[in-house]
Amino acid sequence: MVSDMHRPDRDCKGDTILMKNPLLPFKARITGVRIDTDDVRTLTLRLKTHLDMKPGQFNMIGYPGVGEAPISASSINGKGEIQHTIRAVGRVTGFISSLNEGSEIFIRGPYGKGWPMDAAEGNDLLIVAGGVGIAPLRPVIHEVIKKRGAFGKVTVIYGVRDEKNAVYIDELEEWKDIHLLVTADEATGGGRWKYGTGSVLTSIDNARIVPAKTSVFMCGPEIMMRLAGNKLLMKGILASRLYVSLERRMKCGIGHCGHCQHNGRFVCKEGPVFPYKEMRGLPDGLL
Amino acid sequence: MTGESAFRGSEKIIAKGDFFLWIDSLRDKFLLIGPVKQGPHASFGRITSSEDLHMEYDTTMLPPGKLYLFQPKEELLRFSNRSSTWGKGKPPLTEEVLPEMRQQVIIGIHPCDANAVAYLDLTFLGDLKDPYYEARRKKTFIIALNCAQIGPNCFCSSVGAGPFLHGESGCDMLLTDMGEYYLVETKTAWAGDLFKGPSRDAGAKDLSRKAEIENALLRSFTKTVNIKGLDKLFSENIDHPVWRRTADKKCLSCSNCVMVCPTCFCYNVVDEISIDMKTGTRHRQWDACQDEKFAAVHGGNFRQRREARLRQFVTHKLDQTWQYGRCGTVGCGRCITWCPTCIDLTEIAREIQSS
Repeated sequence: MVSDMHRPDRDCKGDTILMKNPLLPFKARITGVRIDTDDVRTLTLRLKTHLDMKPGQFNMIGYPGVGEAPISASSINGKGEIQHTIRAVGRVTGFISSLNEGSEIFIRGPYGKGWPMDAAEGNDLLIVAGGVGIAPLRPVIHEVIKKRGAFGKVTVIYGVRDEKNAVYIDELEEWKDIHLLVTADEATGGGRWKYGTGSVLTSIDNARIVPAKTSVFMCGPEIMMRLAGNKLLMKGILASRLYVSLERRMKCGIGHCGHCQHNGRFVCKEGPVFPYKEMRGLPDGLL
Repeated sequence: MTGESAFRGSEKIIAKGDFFLWIDSLRDKFLLIGPVKQGPHASFGRITSSEDLHMEYDTTMLPPGKLYLFQPKEELLRFSNRSSTWGKGKPPLTEEVLPEMRQQVIIGIHPCDANAVAYLDLTFLGDLKDPYYEARRKKTFIIALNCAQIGPNCFCSSVGAGPFLHGESGCDMLLTDMGEYYLVETKTAWAGDLFKGPSRDAGAKDLSRKAEIENALLRSFTKTVNIKGLDKLFSENIDHPVWRRTADKKCLSCSNCVMVCPTCFCYNVVDEISIDMKTGTRHRQWDACQDEKFAAVHGGNFRQRREARLRQFVTHKLDQTWQYGRCGTVGCGRCITWCPTCIDLTEIAREIQSS
């Protein structure tokens, strides 16, 4: 599934060709930088043209001379602004993390299949997030808040390593009418952590859900998704209603460079969101 | 380009000498590319005259489709700095570097390689097109040549990709060597327009002679693989001992197999900035799943182990038909020929099938 493409920014030569080259990035301006943790920050980007982006989709974010990295949107406000939450782990993400408000950045997208929001409407929704894996799920939560009546009981299970590595913690309070089960593996910092200790798995045990009518969206370390997925299936979640978002190395984002292939599936264009049952136990994955 | 199913092709017989005269007549409008002799080997290269052609070649190291349509390395974007440092202030001007080229004709591609071109088309000309590949593809006239001999590592007949080309895609024109003359089949409107020369229509005798040649060739394969039931067999036997044994005792992750494979399409993207920081480039180059870092992400590597990477190559070629609905290999055998430790993916298949 590919949405309609963007127009190259006016500063890119060759824009008479318009929309023809999916490898040509366009510019966005950073209008806000929020530091979330030591190595995670959320950038707000303003685009010159509207990007029809869906929760769960990603952009290739980068800079000329540095490179590009696939990053899911962590917020889509539909008014020409999107957010990307970026962890500085390598050359590209490290460079992006050095840019300030007012700088320009280069993006291509949106790519990939997003979360199946339509299929989830009418049911209860359980969101399971591990660490910075909550980023691709945040637009789902925003959609739910906008269309609260379309969903039944909504639960968010969020597990972090420790309070220093928790993102969006200040926003959690704003998520009204949503059950929160937030845990840290260890709470070290002098009692400021007001949520429990434990893991995503203990939260699943404690969650009061009606498995037969709950859709589940999961994102986090792949091992976490496997353990959580199996636990949820044992609880009675229907296999057809359990979705995961995967991460792979990507150089093009459009199903050409081949790096993201997982047992013949291109994670960039057939994913990154997949039904769990299709990816379970495939060679070289951890699901 | 190919795929024009409304076109009704023709079948003609032309003396070889006249055919080559026609090839030479294309020189003012086309770059000529064809197989040339290089010592005991052959390779595809630019030629200035049909005299340079070595049409009786058996195989080449590098596949012509991938070499001329995909290119081992090419510039995608060029950057020009507009501020005093890179990365601060005004960002670099970014322009795409689309291939500007004359038309080219690739003469004498074997059916395996022509089928491989059709396979690369599936990757690069799908929902989202690669404009660099597309620019070259549109300007490339492909003349395929049915095989006259079977090599020791060829197994194209097992996967329906040779020794004769069937079906419409992968070429504009198809030649069959009939001794003193060629049977010329035009497959696209472009071929219909271009092909001129003293020829007569092929008759039933010619076509049955063609079938005889093909049948004789089909009987002379020394290497076969039974692909029936292979789908999913590998991915359901990921712990079969052949993978670990081959990886530990033989495979070097040298990636020769990938480099010579006509259907391999993976590429890496690299950005560079000039020393004076005035210009930069984003280029792409052939990459290989055999490379250790190919499937690495922060915090892990989905194919850290050599056996996983070896299995990925073999499985992609022989097993994952759900990717494009067809076998990933065209049976050219180059990976077997050029593996320094003689790994043969058909033997791996046989071992898994028989257990």
